Amino acid sequence: MTSRELVERTLEFSRPQRIPRQMWLLAWATEHYPEKVTEIQRKFPDDIVTSLSFYKIPPRTFGDENSPGIFIDEWGCVFENRQRGIMGEVKEPLLREWKDVDKVRVPAERLSVDKDKVNDFCRRTDKFVIARSCVRPFEQLQFMRKPENLFVDLIEQPAEFFILLDRIHQFYKQELELWARTEVDALFFNDDWGSQNSLLVSPSLWRKIFKPLYKDYIDLAHLHGKYIFMHSDGQIMDILPDLIELGLDALNSQLFCMDIEELGKRFGGKITFWGEIDRQYLLPYGSSEEIIASVRKVKDSLYQDGGVIAQCEFGIGAKPENVYLVFETWNNFSNL
Amino acid sequence: MRTGAILKELQEALLDGKKDEVEYLIERSLASGIPTSEILNQGLIVGMEKVGTLFKKNKFFIPEVLVAARAMNAGLAKLEPFLVKDKVEPKGLVVIGTVKGDLHDIGKNLVAMMLRGAGFKVLDLGNDVSAEKFVESARAHNASVVGLSALLTTTMIQMGNVVEALRDSGLSTPVIIGGAPVTQEYAEEIKAEGYAPDAASAVEEVRRLVKV
Repeated sequence: MTSRELVERTLEFSRPQRIPRQMWLLAWATEHYPEKVTEIQRKFPDDIVTSLSFYKIPPRTFGDENSPGIFIDEWGCVFENRQRGIMGEVKEPLLREWKDVDKVRVPAERLSVDKDKVNDFCRRTDKFVIARSCVRPFEQLQFMRKPENLFVDLIEQPAEFFILLDRIHQFYKQELELWARTEVDALFFNDDWGSQNSLLVSPSLWRKIFKPLYKDYIDLAHLHGKYIFMHSDGQIMDILPDLIELGLDALNSQLFCMDIEELGKRFGGKITFWGEIDRQYLLPYGSSEEIIASVRKVKDSLYQDGGVIAQCEFGIGAKPENVYLVFETWNNFSNL
Repeated sequence: MRTGAILKELQEALLDGKKDEVEYLIERSLASGIPTSEILNQGLIVGMEKVGTLFKKNKFFIPEVLVAARAMNAGLAKLEPFLVKDKVEPKGLVVIGTVKGDLHDIGKNLVAMMLRGAGFKVLDLGNDVSAEKFVESARAHNASVVGLSALLTTTMIQMGNVVEALRDSGLSTPVIIGGAPVTQEYAEEIKAEGYAPDAASAVEEVRRLVKV
């Protein structure tokens, strides 16, 4: 069974031969532990890969997103960073005054993807390929307005806010449509919706403003016969029923911010849990016993003839031996 | 209108984040002869306590807290000259900041707003703040509490350095810590006197530390 088939069977809850896996790698890990990264990749190769972007015209950015200093993204948002290997923070809004809303420029270069090259990439691998789309309406709004301003916008809801949101959303639909017309297996979008203990915004506000956008993305993927994956950090239990209702295929979330057993009872068999293992405590500080127990808990709670992808993030602060142990443990549990 | 009714209306306006209405009701309260301390304690502070309770119960989320805090700040600005005139003292001074190497500040900003809403004076040092700066500010302003925030597992270790620097310089100012990767156990490990998992709990914890 190829990696692609393993992932498809997982998404369809039809008994894959083993649980497919994927390690998310932050630049920090490659810089600090290059040998361990190579060892993990060699011993536990990913079943899921993200396509290269293959832009004909490179998006206009400035600086390195993961290095100390200033980075300007393709929309023009300015990030400040102090630490190597992670993304910075927006300190000054791109859009300070609503009167300038029409000046926001969409990064049209992102639509210059060479589809033939993407298709060639997909044909040359038997891994499950995810589109390199960068669709994140809530986060991009925060980058443009600064988080504090955006949160107030969400309450005040001026007309210009919806003009901006619609411009971003229409662009994202174009981007997803483009990827949907390639041979990738799945589309992807992401927005961090949770804090440690709850959603950042009320479920009702999320349902009113953002759920319809996600419906468009998910419908678009399915219309083209693609799966669709999403990532969100934080405690997002309250919107999981909505994401399932919309037909989301796989969700990467911070499982350990939530009650994993409850997740399994309520949502097991209805959506695929694309990881993860806790990166706030377990990966940097956890003992071997805790790592093994955490993998067992995820598997026992969430696996239902599929519906689980062994994923964790090798990012800032994580102990390489713990990341290794996560995949080794999944491998040992993979005799399904 | 009776005192209780105006102050209740003030609390409601605060909960709804209606900045202009809060300013208007402060003016009306002053014009009605309500003592400034009562406007502060029974109007703004009780209103913000309600915001904190709703936030803890997941009935309010960050946007609702931010608009309420903005309304509270507007009201406080109106009231401030009268508080000074009547010699109404803040409940204490909290020096707050995100530790060195960390630029994340929305959580810290929320805590600062809630503390101001609870009647504390807050000196916000911003983000990427060195241990030396915390010590210098705590000493210069005779802080009641020092509040430290961090979002990253790699920067939260700086919290221990700040506690150590404060104690090495002879200051016994209690320290409260918070931020996504931080736990009560970690607070105990670095000998911080307080830990709060959210902004509303931070206010309760600071009150406990300064005994008000």
